[in-house]
Order: sequence, then structure tokens, then C-alpha cells
Amino acid sequence: MSDAAGSGPGSADPFDAPEIAPPGGPAGDLPEAALRRLESSSFSSGLSVPDFAACLDLGLQPVALVQGFCVMQWGWYGPGSSTMRGMSPYVGGQLAPGSYSETYRCPHGYVSAEHRAWGQNIEQSWVEEAWAQGYHTAYGRMLEEAGTMGAHGVIGVADLVSNVADTGTTEFHFLGTAVKVEGGPPPAGGVPWSTYLAGQRLTKSIEAGFMPVAVVAALASVRVWAYCMTEYYMDGAMGGWGTNMGPALVEQVSKAHMASRQLARKHVRQQLAGDELHGAMISIATRELSAGDEVIDCTLRGNRMRRFKDFDPVALPRPTVRLS
Amino acid sequence: MSQSTSAPVPVPDIRAEMLKGAQALATPAPPSKERGITSDLSVDEALLLHAAGWEPLDLVVGVAVVSVPVGVWNWGRGSISLASDAHNAAVDQAARLLRGECTKVHGHGVVGVRVDVSVQTHHIDVELVGTAVRPMAGPGGGKDPRGTDAALAMPFVSDLSARDFTLLERAGWLPVGLAFGASFVYAPRRSAGTAMKQTRQNVELTNYTEAMYSARESAMEKMQHSALEAGGQGVVQVKITEGPMSFARHAIGFTAWGTAVKLVADAHQFVQPEVVLPLDDAVVTFDAQSLRSSNQGRGGRR
Repeated sequence: MSDAAGSGPGSADPFDAPEIAPPGGPAGDLPEAALRRLESSSFSSGLSVPDFAACLDLGLQPVALVQGFCVMQWGWYGPGSSTMRGMSPYVGGQLAPGSYSETYRCPHGYVSAEHRAWGQNIEQSWVEEAWAQGYHTAYGRMLEEAGTMGAHGVIGVADLVSNVADTGTTEFHFLGTAVKVEGGPPPAGGVPWSTYLAGQRLTKSIEAGFMPVAVVAALASVRVWAYCMTEYYMDGAMGGWGTNMGPALVEQVSKAHMASRQLARKHVRQQLAGDELHGAMISIATRELSAGDEVIDCTLRGNRMRRFKDFDPVALPRPTVRLS
Repeated sequence: MSQSTSAPVPVPDIRAEMLKGAQALATPAPPSKERGITSDLSVDEALLLHAAGWEPLDLVVGVAVVSVPVGVWNWGRGSISLASDAHNAAVDQAARLLRGECTKVHGHGVVGVRVDVSVQTHHIDVELVGTAVRPMAGPGGGKDPRGTDAALAMPFVSDLSARDFTLLERAGWLPVGLAFGASFVYAPRRSAGTAMKQTRQNVELTNYTEAMYSARESAMEKMQHSALEAGGQGVVQVKITEGPMSFARHAIGFTAWGTAVKLVADAHQFVQPEVVLPLDDAVVTFDAQSLRSSNQGRGGRR
């Protein structure tokens, strides 16, 4: 299977490529079973009956239930990983240019060999890139299936990302209903548009003048190497080396949390190219490794929408009270 | 269905709109340096906000982790003030960061804030996520009764949905901030003698009643105090949580929070909702079972 991620024209950055898959997707990338299914003369759709009806009202003709799949593994010991970087801020790292890192230094001076004299928050760009590659590859394959059918767009997209921690693999799975716009032109470059929306919610968006462009998502991963103060606070070692008796802001962990969310927002914004992100969903997964040491993964996804007509708000609805 | 005899009602030509949308994507968009808007509002919320003349700007967050000194949860008597101090500090810091993010994008406030509080043995984590909004410029744009400068200097923070926000605004009120209160208390103990004496009695355990009562009151009092401090007149949509700590079953935590609001119009504006009698059948989908039993014949069940 070929790699569909980051293949936007003239771009090395996977976050910089709004059209993830090349037009039509890489040839021969789909399994034979998929092609056999898509050749069948019946259409299929994952839409509920009301959503199906709304889709027909919009002039969208369901073509096929399409999907894309990709299983990724990424090692923790590759170049640029924290392991390769070594446990010192002075050695210098292989951090990607422009990525987030922040160093914290022990205020105590030399205490012992076990004392955590420094700590660092680092953006694990190699994890983010691997996630983006898996996500965009699976997404590209779904679009390829849709493109094979001559579809213009994919609606009601559902994506499942499951981490299988024990095996170090992550599965990316996309499902959606490919549609044709009756009498409509094909999208630019032949790459179908896509959205998590379907049914009345899609109808209302179109009515308000927002056309779906693509589903977008990004993962931001921040590793916290705790320094002594963070370790004391997170481990409850009160009175140890300068911690006070009262509650205190754990600056290093708080900043790492903020950074993970801000980075996810930045990565998603880079895929918007001036369009809007609607219905953003943010989710956080933290893995504590030892006192204060943790990995914070933030996933942000949503619908990239483009305004296609001048601002035309609905009339302010009248409030009502129901008698039943 | 038979033909309709009533006069045709003008409906938006949704197919034409869809075609317009498809045509907009038929040519590649010119490269844009514009900062894309991000928002976690639902489609309905975004439409309603637009109708009221406000627009979303950015998805904003505030997260704070505050330490709880060791020993705080050990057995004791009365309230656990260090834990509530830590709780307040975490909420304050998270709200400050959220406001900071809102100010950065020139927002007037944050709506639909999702509040996530997690109390751990050694730290309390607070996460706030919402969408920064502002009145739209130009015709049809909304107005911030506080004036732009005042609004930018102190954006509001509210866990009300966009629907509630527009309703509140229409009634002449505005949210000012999140009002928060927390109190933690040790489950009280009786002396061995009292416990023995009460074994065969049906009595009120006054020390329990008092401890829980005052802890609940204290959480709400702190909440009301924080509302006044933020410049609010009262608190709407108060939520209350209570329960033992998972890591210390002898300690019970109470929290109360809501959105502090104040009247910005001269007087409360009556919304005067229209009373409607919906004719919808209560049954959402056809239920074949309902045909078989006489007492379900009206189809009232789901």
C-alpha cells in the first residue's frame, strides 16, 4: 500500500496539505474485495432513514458506503525520539524545527544523583506525524473508494481511532456515504469533499451558506519529563526541598496540558487554509509513566467548511412554550 | 399523500443552494492567509448565534493543575480547607487562561464552556473548553451592552449553551463569569460511647447532619461569593456534585457551580414566549406492536 499522507503538491508538511489524497487516490491501493463490492449495481449507505430523506431533498444521490483502513505502528526509539535524545537538555535534540519544548531547572543545586535536576516538556512530533500519516492514509483510501465511484462527496463520515497499547499499533478506520450532487460539477481536482455531518444538520449548514470541504483532525502529543519540583508536587512529597505547605500551581504539567491543546488547534488550523472549523471535538488521553512523568495526547477533529455566499442569517427564532 | 390545497409556502430552494455550494468547490480556492475560525458549537448553536448577531471566533481552552499537599486527606475533623483552596486556585487559574485566550482573539466572551474537574490524591485538575464569541460588525450585527472596551478588558466566561446565551441576552441579562464553590469535609465519627448508646435508638445523628449540612451550605456560599466578586447579581443553572473521594472514602467533596449573570438592560425584558400546541404524534417511528394491544391503541408509548 502506498503512503497517501502529505502528498499535497510542493509540500513536505502533512499538516499543510488540505487535499490529502492525490486526485482519485493512488492506483491499485484498494483491496480487490473493495473493487468487487463497488462494482455491484446496488447502492448502499450508512444513513438512517431520516438522514437518507434529507440527503435526497438536498439533491444528493447516495452512491455507496465507502471506507478506508490503515493500521500503523510507531516505535518509541526512532531518530528524534526522547530516548535517542538522551536524558539531558544540553546534548541537544533532534526536535523538529518550530516544535514546542520548554526546560525547567532545579532550584536546589546539587542534591544527589537521583535528584531530578532538570525537566522538560517536549512536543513528540514523531508521534504526531505517525498519527497524521495513519489518519490521512485511511482517509485517502476512503476518498479513493468514493472517487472510483465517481462520487462528488462523502457525508456522514465516522472515524474510529483505536490505540492498541500492548502491541504498539493504532488502527484508523473511516466510514462514510459517498454521494453525487445531481447536476453538480465535480469538485476541483476530482477529490471528493467530506463531512461528519448528514441529514438536517448538513441541510442547515448549506442553508446558512457553509459548504463542507473536508473532515480534519490532528493529534498533538506532549511528553512531560518531570523535574524535582513537579515530581514532589505530583507525588505529594510535601516539604521536600522548597515545596510550600499549601496548594501550589504545578506549572510544568499545567503548561504541558495547555500546549497539547494549543498545538492540536494549530495543526488543525494549518489544514484550514482560511476556511472555518465547525463542530470541533476535543479529546484528551493522558498516560502517567511515573510521578509527574506523563504523556498528554490531544486529538482535535471537526468539519472544515467554506462560506459560499454572503452572510445570510436565519431570522431570530421566536421562543415558544409547548402545551402537551 | 393527496395534494395540498393550501397556498404554496415559500420554502428556501435547498437544492439550488446545494448546487451553489458544489460550484464553490469546483474551482480551487485561492490561497488564503486568513486565520481560520474554529468553534465547537453545534450547527444549531452556530445558526442561532448568527441570528442574534454574534459570531464564533476560536476554540479556547484553560487548564490548570494545582497540587494538594500530602496528608490533607488523612483522618481528621471538620472541613478540609486546603483541598477547597486547591480547588479554587485551579478553577481561578484555568478561567484566567481561558480569558487570556479569548482576549488574544479579541473575543467578548466564551460560551458553552465545558467544565471538567478531577480531584486526585495529590492534585486537582481543571479543564475549561469553550468558544470565544463577539458581536458581528455591520448590519444585522449584535451589540455588547457593556461596550467594546469593557468587554475586551474582561470577557465573560459562561457554561451556558449558545441557545441559553441568546435567550439571556434577549431578556436583558449577560453572563459575567463562572461562579464556583467547593468544600470538602471528613465524614464525622461518633465516640464509642455514643455509638453504643445509639445502637438501639432511632435517632438523628446530629453530627452527621451538621457536618454535611454545613459543607453543602459552605460550597454554595463560596459559589455565591465568587459570583458577587465577578460582578454578577446571581447565578443561573447551578450544578451540584457530591460524593466520597475514590481514594479517601472518609472524605466527602461538595461542589456547586453555575454561570454568574447580571442585568445590563434598564429592566428585565419579558421574552413573552408564544404558546404552541404541537400536533406531532408522540411515536417517533411506526410501532407495529401498538396495533396488537387495545390499551396501546393511541400510540402514546415509545
